[in-house]
Amino acid sequence: MASIEPFNRLVKLAARAFYDDMTTKGENQTKVGRSDNRGTAVVILDALTRRQWVREEDLAKDLKIHTKQLRRTLRFFEEEKLITRDHRKENSKGAKIYNSAVAAAVDGQRNGREGDDKLKMHTQSYCCLDYSQIYDVVRYRLHRMKKKLKDEMDSKNTVQEYICPSCNKRYTALDALRLISPYDEDFHCESCNGVLVAESDKLAAQEMGDGDDNASRRRHDKLKDMLSKMEEQLKPLTDQLGRVKDLPIPEFGNLQAWEVRANAANRAANGDPNGDSKSLHGFNGTPMPYLGETKVEVAFSGADDKGDVKSVNTSTPMKVLPPWMIREGMNLTKEQRGEAGADPKIDGAAPSASDLLDDKKSAIVNDEEKIFQDEYVKAYYAALLNRQHEQVETVKKEEDFLNTAITNEAYDTSTQRQVGMKFKREDYGSGEDEWEEAPPAGGGSTSEQFKVDLNVEAAASEEEDDEDENDWEDG
Amino acid sequence: MFFHIVLERNMQLHPRHFGRDMKDKLVSKLMKDVEGTCSGRHGFIVAITGVESIGKGLIRDGTGFVTFPVKYQCVVFRPFKGEILEAVVTMVNKMGFFAEAGPVQIFVSNHLIPDDMEFQTGDMPNYTTSDGSVRIQKESEVRLKIIGTRVDATEIFCIGTIKDDFLGVISDPGSTS
Ligand SMILES: [Zn+2]
Repeated sequence: MASIEPFNRLVKLAARAFYDDMTTKGENQTKVGRSDNRGTAVVILDALTRRQWVREEDLAKDLKIHTKQLRRTLRFFEEEKLITRDHRKENSKGAKIYNSAVAAAVDGQRNGREGDDKLKMHTQSYCCLDYSQIYDVVRYRLHRMKKKLKDEMDSKNTVQEYICPSCNKRYTALDALRLISPYDEDFHCESCNGVLVAESDKLAAQEMGDGDDNASRRRHDKLKDMLSKMEEQLKPLTDQLGRVKDLPIPEFGNLQAWEVRANAANRAANGDPNGDSKSLHGFNGTPMPYLGETKVEVAFSGADDKGDVKSVNTSTPMKVLPPWMIREGMNLTKEQRGEAGADPKIDGAAPSASDLLDDKKSAIVNDEEKIFQDEYVKAYYAALLNRQHEQVETVKKEEDFLNTAITNEAYDTSTQRQVGMKFKREDYGSGEDEWEEAPPAGGGSTSEQFKVDLNVEAAASEEEDDEDENDWEDG
Repeated sequence: MFFHIVLERNMQLHPRHFGRDMKDKLVSKLMKDVEGTCSGRHGFIVAITGVESIGKGLIRDGTGFVTFPVKYQCVVFRPFKGEILEAVVTMVNKMGFFAEAGPVQIFVSNHLIPDDMEFQTGDMPNYTTSDGSVRIQKESEVRLKIIGTRVDATEIFCIGTIKDDFLGVISDPGSTS
């Protein structure tokens, strides 16, 4: 599959190498400040690398530059053989064909077109990069640059130029026959008969002595320096040329052909979404929508970030949690506070509170939960009532939170949950140091309250509950 | 570079030549007209080597002249860029020197003369090396390389260089005479 990417890179490199400080001067733009539009040429070329055929009006709108200025630059590039342009008179129908072609080729890139003008004929200009020509032009340009420097360096194959100091008319050595005069040995200007002077070499005009040995050597050095500098600075460009050399050059064809092809490809793609469209438009096997190439960028930023990990966890709290994970599950529910509305202080106390309050809550509200938890609901019921009176405020705060905690735990069997609870509490006890998010002080205070309660009232409590109680004391 | 090619030309012959030796007259007139001329396309016509065919003559109304289409073989000389020629120096001045290779005029500007040769003015202006061993003056024979040609419809002019290996003076008239 022919990729357009290397060619786009070539275009970008060439743009920066040769057209970076190009300015287009308008006839009425004489003020220095305004006419300094260097860099636009590069911007325009870059924009064209992301498009195929594009209506110049649209391009101007996209780039937020004046159509006139864009046209001027495009005209220049046309002369430089970098782009091809097409002008045609069209009404809204023609525009529609183009628009659909654009839509097919550059999905999502077209921008809002104006309301369709009713069958008014407008001359629209389109432009497009001509990759094969760009390749040749850039190579030719490099070749000429190198040759010129080398010739100048060897003073070889250069045609001496002469200039008339009085009228500035220029001649070359090829005019020599017409310039000699029978009276003296100078060359004379044809129009004013002034004595011509040889124009010293343009590239090394400064600090030129009168042809003495030293000067010519200096000049030679300077040219050599220039040549090596040029080679060094244009190396990325030449490298890219080499890379592109054997690749098939992307061709868009002329505007009409491109539109037809783009629309056909679009239709094919719509009819057969499984991607047979590539083979359908038989265009030398090069897939049409070059610009449609999708880049997927995956950024692994902050993968080791604690916060990220946590957020990942929070997204899956409702899954069945293995018992050893329950601590984390609790953590998460804590972090889901926004929706749970639980007081962070109860975290440490959550397990026991959850047990107790769960029971109450589920007994009142949740039938399913009740099924699971019936056994110890009954055992605790009396004690709970008492305690509730004492701790109405705390309970109220905890209710919501525990609601969610229960939903997590409800998936486990009751025995598992018991084990899990134990682990959880132990974890909390040890984890208090490490996990700053878990507020240890608050947890301690609430648990103490509970502990007192349990000691007093848990005479009839089951084994599990005893364990719980011990855990609480530990915690 | 020399080429042997076939060219065609419409010859007009005065009625007084009509007779037994009309063909000879035609050929001699052709030689007189054509040899030594220059066309930008083919170069200098050096010599006619033969006449291939003479077509049917067409009598001009009013004048009685007859036009014959004539095909003839000839040797042409056409200088090319990069070609190496031997030429005779015809004029030397401080701007360089002129030389002729047959019909072709060649100008060698002073910056295409080796740096170690300096212009000496005088009766016989010349370019001479500092040790005086090599001198370019009028009538010197030089070998030069053509680096540019100017081709007009009827004229070819060349510029050359002697600033390269094996170029320069090949005989010095001062030393032989
Ligand atoms: Zn003048």
